[in-house]
Amino acid sequence: MNFETTIEAGNISTLHVEGKILGNATDAFRKEMERQIQTGRDKLVVDLTSVPLIDSSALGAIVTTLKCCQQSGGKLVLLNPQKAVQEVLEVTQLATVIEIYDTEEAARAAFM
Amino acid sequence: MAETILVVDDDLDILELLKMNLEPEGYNVRTASDGESAVQSACADPPDLILLDVMMPHKNGFEVIEELKDIEETKNVPVILVTARGQTEDKIRGLDTGADDYITKPFDLREVTARVEAVLGRTRPIKYINPLMRAMGEGFSEEGLEQLAGHLQAAAAIQKKLLPEQPPHFDEFDIATLLQSSTSVSGDFYDFIPLSETRVGIVLGDVKGSGIPAALLMVMIRTALRLLCHEEDAPASILKRVNDLVVRDTEADLFATMIYGILDISTATFTYSNGGHCYPFYCRNTRTAEVLKTDGMLIGAFEEAKFTTGTCLLEPGEILLFYTDGITETEAGDSQASNGNQSVSTSLNGSTSFSEQNDGHQDAILTDMFYGGDRLAACLSKNASLSASGLCEAIVNDLARFSGSTQTRDDRALIVIKRDV
Repeated sequence: MNFETTIEAGNISTLHVEGKILGNATDAFRKEMERQIQTGRDKLVVDLTSVPLIDSSALGAIVTTLKCCQQSGGKLVLLNPQKAVQEVLEVTQLATVIEIYDTEEAARAAFM
Repeated sequence: MAETILVVDDDLDILELLKMNLEPEGYNVRTASDGESAVQSACADPPDLILLDVMMPHKNGFEVIEELKDIEETKNVPVILVTARGQTEDKIRGLDTGADDYITKPFDLREVTARVEAVLGRTRPIKYINPLMRAMGEGFSEEGLEQLAGHLQAAAAIQKKLLPEQPPHFDEFDIATLLQSSTSVSGDFYDFIPLSETRVGIVLGDVKGSGIPAALLMVMIRTALRLLCHEEDAPASILKRVNDLVVRDTEADLFATMIYGILDISTATFTYSNGGHCYPFYCRNTRTAEVLKTDGMLIGAFEEAKFTTGTCLLEPGEILLFYTDGITETEAGDSQASNGNQSVSTSLNGSTSFSEQNDGHQDAILTDMFYGGDRLAACLSKNASLSASGLCEAIVNDLARFSGSTQTRDDRALIVIKRDV
């Protein structure tokens, strides 16, 4: 798994992840989101376009970060989850509490 | 993970030489060319070992060690001093200051590698003990450690005791379970709670997170369920109340997925609610496996969680299969990966699996990489004539064939309920 974070207008961080978020890789994923929040960026877009699969600890990281963002008045949204990831979000019903967008524009507009 | 060595020398040729020598041995090598930047680099991201030249302008090696020993993050990082030949004074001073070993210049590169490996070999266990020492504080002693080990064993034993050894026995129903733990305390659990002569509460869950915190949450959920299911009937309301209890008392990254349902022998129905758990399989007499899609939020993460109740009637010979994601996320072994495109022919109605056929390249890769819901459904259909325990065994064997191993990375749990023919 690789990721790259870009900061955009309105102090929105977009975390572009590439590859499966599984096992040990989850830790780096979690830490990157933590780092964003610690530096005061609580508007997070997690771009899942290139993520074929996530496991339950990655799900845990998303839930934790989502709640952290909400506590400080921010928000975490997901961008373009692929089939397998979308299914996990649906089975766990996380899809009902996390905003999910198809395009980057729509994801960014969620913070306006 | 590769260990990191910080090499410090004001001679850039020596830095380069040591880097070229150590990297092929599998170490990450960072360099610093003076004492000041060495201290900065070590503090910013403590390495696993420092190879430190003594004779440097401005700040020499002894001063660097003294500074590092005063800083919490770096005080336990082992240091090998590099001194000039014959400077016995330096060696003694170095060892007094807290260096772990020394090498004399000019050095033999093989000696450097050997000493680095020897010092790392000695200090590696200490690195793992440090966080434990911090956590235990004053209690860190031989006695304290023995006590802690005892507690861990006791926790594992308590947890094991909480799981029913035998599934309940009913005329007309054949029930079997399986639990394989990847660590001493398991995140997966199941429970059977007798409610009346003809009704039994059945739970299968998976606490996310690991170790003792996860085990504590499991015990909490299990206890809550045991109490609540006598007060209330509808599985959805019970999950709602469990969620309300847990969400108050746990950290955000600790949560569970679970299915709770009531098997009523007199009506042969299973009434259940699903808290974000993998959808169970229902295998009809026609041997087609369907998923029971009743949605509900995972447990313990959100206050406003909703749950619904579903019902399923079991005709003679029909089977219900509950499982945790440790089963479907079992990774393919080498032999499996090499014979690639093995396809699963069973079709599923409303399958939750990510591996439907002819659905793009990425899905094909996933199908090969993980056991997945389709293979589980296929194994269930194929072995539907077996007894409940025979079916558990068939699934375990199929997993072993697929992964090429009987070991498991994640916990695995299964419950099979089969109505007698």
